[in-house]
Formats: sequence, C-alpha cells, structure tokens
Amino acid sequence: MPWYLHLALRQLFPTGRRFPFFTLISTLGVALGVMVLVVVMSIMGGFAYEIRHLIVDTEGEVQIVARGPVSDYASVVKRVESVPGVAAATPYARDAVMVKFGDKPAFPMLRGLDLGSIERVTQLGRYVVVGSLDDLDDDSVILSDQIASSLGANVGDSIEVYSPLIINKLSADAVFLPRQVRVVGILHIGHQQLDSSTVYGTLRLAQDLYGLGSTVHGIDVRLNPGVNEDDAVARVNKVLPDGIRAFSWEDSFSDFLWVLNLERSMIFFLLLFIVIVAAFSVTSSLLISVVRKTREIGLLGALGGRPLHVALCFCAQGLFIGVLGTVSGLAAGFLALAVRNDVVLWVARVTQRQEVLRRFYQFSELPSHTSGSTVALIVVLTIVISTLAGTIPAWRAARLKPVEALRSE
Amino acid sequence: MSEPVLSARALRKSFRSGDALLQVLRDVNLDVAAGESVSIRGESGSGKSTLLNLIAGLDAPDSGTVLWGGSPDTGAGRRAAYLGMVFQSFYLVPELDALANVLLARRILGRIDAAARDRARSLLGDVGLSDRAHHLPSQLSGGERQRVALARALMNGPNLIVADEPTGNLDERTGNEVVELLLGLCASADTALVLVTHNASHAAKTRRSLTLTAGALGGS
Ligand SMILES: Nc1ncnc2c1ncn2[C@@H]1O[C@H](COP(=O)(O)OP(=O)(O)O)[C@@H](O)[C@H]1O
Ligand SMILES: [Mg+2]
Repeated sequence: MPWYLHLALRQLFPTGRRFPFFTLISTLGVALGVMVLVVVMSIMGGFAYEIRHLIVDTEGEVQIVARGPVSDYASVVKRVESVPGVAAATPYARDAVMVKFGDKPAFPMLRGLDLGSIERVTQLGRYVVVGSLDDLDDDSVILSDQIASSLGANVGDSIEVYSPLIINKLSADAVFLPRQVRVVGILHIGHQQLDSSTVYGTLRLAQDLYGLGSTVHGIDVRLNPGVNEDDAVARVNKVLPDGIRAFSWEDSFSDFLWVLNLERSMIFFLLLFIVIVAAFSVTSSLLISVVRKTREIGLLGALGGRPLHVALCFCAQGLFIGVLGTVSGLAAGFLALAVRNDVVLWVARVTQRQEVLRRFYQFSELPSHTSGSTVALIVVLTIVISTLAGTIPAWRAARLKPVEALRSE
Repeated sequence: MSEPVLSARALRKSFRSGDALLQVLRDVNLDVAAGESVSIRGESGSGKSTLLNLIAGLDAPDSGTVLWGGSPDTGAGRRAAYLGMVFQSFYLVPELDALANVLLARRILGRIDAAARDRARSLLGDVGLSDRAHHLPSQLSGGERQRVALARALMNGPNLIVADEPTGNLDERTGNEVVELLLGLCASADTALVLVTHNASHAAKTRRSLTLTAGALGGS
C-alpha cells in the first residue's frame, strides 16, 4: 500500500483507538444521506413497481385496444398468440355500471372475462379471497372487497346491475329491467383504487350488458418471461389489423410515469444535499486537520514525500469516509426498508389510526422496490462527492512548503 | 579520495520581510566526508536551521550550490534514501506507533517487506526501545520520542544525517544520552553527521566543530 493511503487510514483509525470522533461524525453524516436516499428512492420506486405489478397481474403486460369494439376477436387472439414472445391473450369487455343491493348503489367498472383463457394471461385467481373464478357463470359476479362492504353484500346475495345501455333505454321510456346477478366471490387486490371500483363477470354477461353482441372492447396479452416489452409490442402491432393497436404498460401510463420520474429526480436531487452537506463537514474537519498537522506535513516533505502524495493522503481520507459512509448507509437503509411495515403499523397503532391507514393507503403494505441502477448512482455520487470534499484540504496541504511548515512552531 | 557526501559552495540566503532584506547566509562553504561528523554552533537566529534546510534540499539558496555525493540532485525523490533528518521537536506522526513511525521513512521510499520490518525492529533495539515498538508517541517520553526519530532517520541507511538541535527539548542527561546514541549509530553505520547544537560538550564529541557567525562558517 502506498504510504499516503496507509497514513490516511491511520489518521482515520489511529492505532489503539477504536473509532475517533471525527471519523465517526463524518461517516455518520454521509451514511445518513445515503440511508435516506435509499429508503425514499426505494419506497417511491415501490409505488410505481406495485402499480405495475398489479396491472400486469390483473391485465397482462400488453393491452390491445381499438377505436370501436373488436369484432373478429377470436382470429385476432389467434394471430397475437402466434407472435414470438407472446405467452397468451384473452379478450375482455369493460365499462362503468351501477350496482345496487337493497337501496345502496355503487358505480364500479365491470370487466367481462373470457373464462377459457383468463387464467393463462392473468393471476386474478390469486386475488380471489372468498369463492373462486371457477364459480363464475353468466349470471354471477365477483366483487372487490370494498364494493362488497360498502354495499353490504355477501357471497350468495343477489344484486342488481344497471349498464349504460339499460339506462339509455330507460330514458327512452322503454321498460327494461336491471340484470339480477348472484355474488359468488370476493376479491382483494391490495390497491385502493382497484379494490374500490372493480366487479368481475363473464365476457358473455358484459357483452349482454353493453350490447356488444359478439364483439369485445380489447385484448390483454401476457408475454413470456424475459421478453422485452417494447419489442414484443412492435411485433404484435405488425400482425394487428388497422384500427387496433397494442400498448405496453409503459405506453399506457407514460404520462403517469413521466410525472413519477420527475418527482423521483427532484426528490433525489434534494436528498443528495444531505450528502453534500455531510461532505462540507468532511471538508472543514480535514481543513482543520491540515492546519493542526502543519508540522507533520512538513516532516513528510523532509522524509522525501512528494506534494502530490501528501495531497492524495487527504483526498484518500475523503474517499474512505465516503466508502465507509456509503456501506453503512446502505446497510442502515436496507434495514430500515426491512422493518418499514412494522414501523408504519406501530405508528398507526400508537396514534389509533389503523382504520385511516387502511382507507387512505394505496396499498395494504408500504411498497418498496430498490432499483440497482439507483443504488449504483447513489454509491458513485456519494463516493465522488466525498472524495471531492477532500480536494480542498489536499490542495492546502500540498501547497505547504516543508521549510515553512517545519518552522511553524 | 571519493566525492564528499555533502559539498556546499558559496551559499547565500536572504529573507525579505517588508522592505528590509535580512542576509542570513553570506558565504557558506562546507564539505563533509563519508562517515565524518561535524558540529555547527551559533547564536540563536544566526541561520543554522536555514543552512540545514539548504543542505537537505528543502529550500533553495539565492546562489551557490549543494551537491550530494557530487550530484546537484537534492530533490524529494533522492532525499528519502540519501539523507535523514532529526529535529528539535521530534515530529513523530501521532497516529502511528513507534515501529510504524520508523517504517514510514521506508514506506515513502517504496514498498516495505519483511526485511524492512526486521530492520525497523532492530533499529528500535539499537536505540533501546525494542519493547516500545507498539507504543504511540503520546505514550513515550521526550527522550524516547527522539530515539524513535533517530531510528527513523537511519531507516533507509542514509549517507548523511542532519540534526537540528536534537537535544533542545530534552533535559541534560537525556540529551547527553541521545547525542551519544546518535554519534555511536552514525559511526557504526558509517553515516556522516551534521549536528547543530548549543551544547559545547556535544560539539566537542564530533570530529570537526564549526561556528556560524555573520553568515559564514568558521572553525573553532
Ligand atoms: N522563512 C523565513 N522568512 C523570514 N525570515 C526567516 C525565515 N526563515 C528564517 N528567517 C530568519 O532568518 C534568521 C535565521 O533563522 P534560523 O535559521 O532559524 O536561525 P537558527 O536556527 O540559527 O536559530 C532568523 O532571524 C529568522 O528570523
Ligand atoms: Mg534553529
């Protein structure tokens, strides 16, 4: 090890003393910045990731929609399924309805599923907590749990469904009765918006309600694992007839994603200031140490040390603090992420707000998704900033002339 | 005979403070042969430290030349191996233990290996501190610190050691011991020594005693 690195390490960790104050405080500052960055970025990433996960689980990775209803959907499905990288496709019909149980109404989206292919495209069955998808027939529905509880409906109850078509007919003074359906299951997805607004039925039921005949609103597509979504979308679009287009999740939500990314970049930038402020304190501590060690720096010159190496000795101290702070910050950050739900629940319990939490949270757990590239960015930036923090003291040290340094008694 | 270890010719050095020009060294000539010991005395402020700095290549003269073994290269790269320095205030690195302080001289020169460690340990033995190798400077007395500094100065087997009032911060008995040790070690390693001292009895122990007066060296 070159002498200046050895000396830098020794000045941070003098022989005998375990962890000197300067090293501890400086490292702590950097670690704090890294920890907060990792935690906040992971949780912000978690929201995007969970939403994506839920949508992929309930609708597949790729959505095919048309300007109007898709008429010959069976052949479209067949064509799409022959595209390399596509695992399966399933048609659906979806629109807003009014449901009524007793005198309580609700206004969810009713999605008609093709029972023959739905399980090959989505994981919906996993989210059915009472009953199962197999219990569905053309006169029954599965309610998401918040609808069920706001209606007060249970499995076995019969509810009324009014579609836009029925309401149109009603306003034209035609006599048209609402559709009576049985509740055969309850679904819990874990996303506030979906759980408060979704009803599932068969494709036939939805086609009847919306007057679609044998057409559908769109087709959901699942890809094979590891297939690039954009490439797959491009291949699917090649085989689709005019007027029908495929979109990836990123396409469909591009505005949302753009805003989300902007938010994340802003927060990242702001939180980076914790690291920068920590670096300032590293700079000032090292400057003090240069002044305090003036004569030793002179001695290093007298022993034949070059000014560049003397400078590197102080730069290296910034680097080591950066590395140490990064490592401990990452450890603390991942630890905090690991216990995040316990912390949130504890706060909710102490403040008696469990109900509020459940009602207003998007997800039933605080989501977290740590992206490798974000962590890499945090690591690189922190270490670069800490090393830069050492450059001003290093420059001061290198400028000291040994004769003058040695005279400074 | 071979080149002198040190050859200083017509050294001039002045310092400017404001408008005044302080002529410290006017015409210094000094040759030191291999293994020779030379003492320099002089009043405080007569320029002894200034002269040592020029000799050590830490500062440049206004005019005149300094040659090490006949070569004008007195840069940092050569200094580590050619010359050892001892100071009045020891200048040990407080974060390093005695052994590491001695080894620092070798580290600056390049890699250290087992042989270097052995040499550092045996030098600590030579200065009577073999059982203090892992003590920090703060755990050593003044005399002990100066002994560590002696071992450090000798670590790279220099041709010349310059010592600037090495006993200035020590009581008389300890000072005597340190000077005895310094002279003895230089003699046995055949290392030349330039010793700046106020102490006449220390000066008398060197082969040649010089005095710096009015910016020039004279025999005494
Ligand atoms: N860098 C400097 N700037 C100004 N004056 C200096 C400088 N170095 C030394 N001097 C002056 O030169 C004179 C000799 O100093 P020095 O060599 O340290 O004396 P000595 O070591 O003999 O006591 C003193 O008057 C001192 O004030
Ligand atoms: Mg002096």
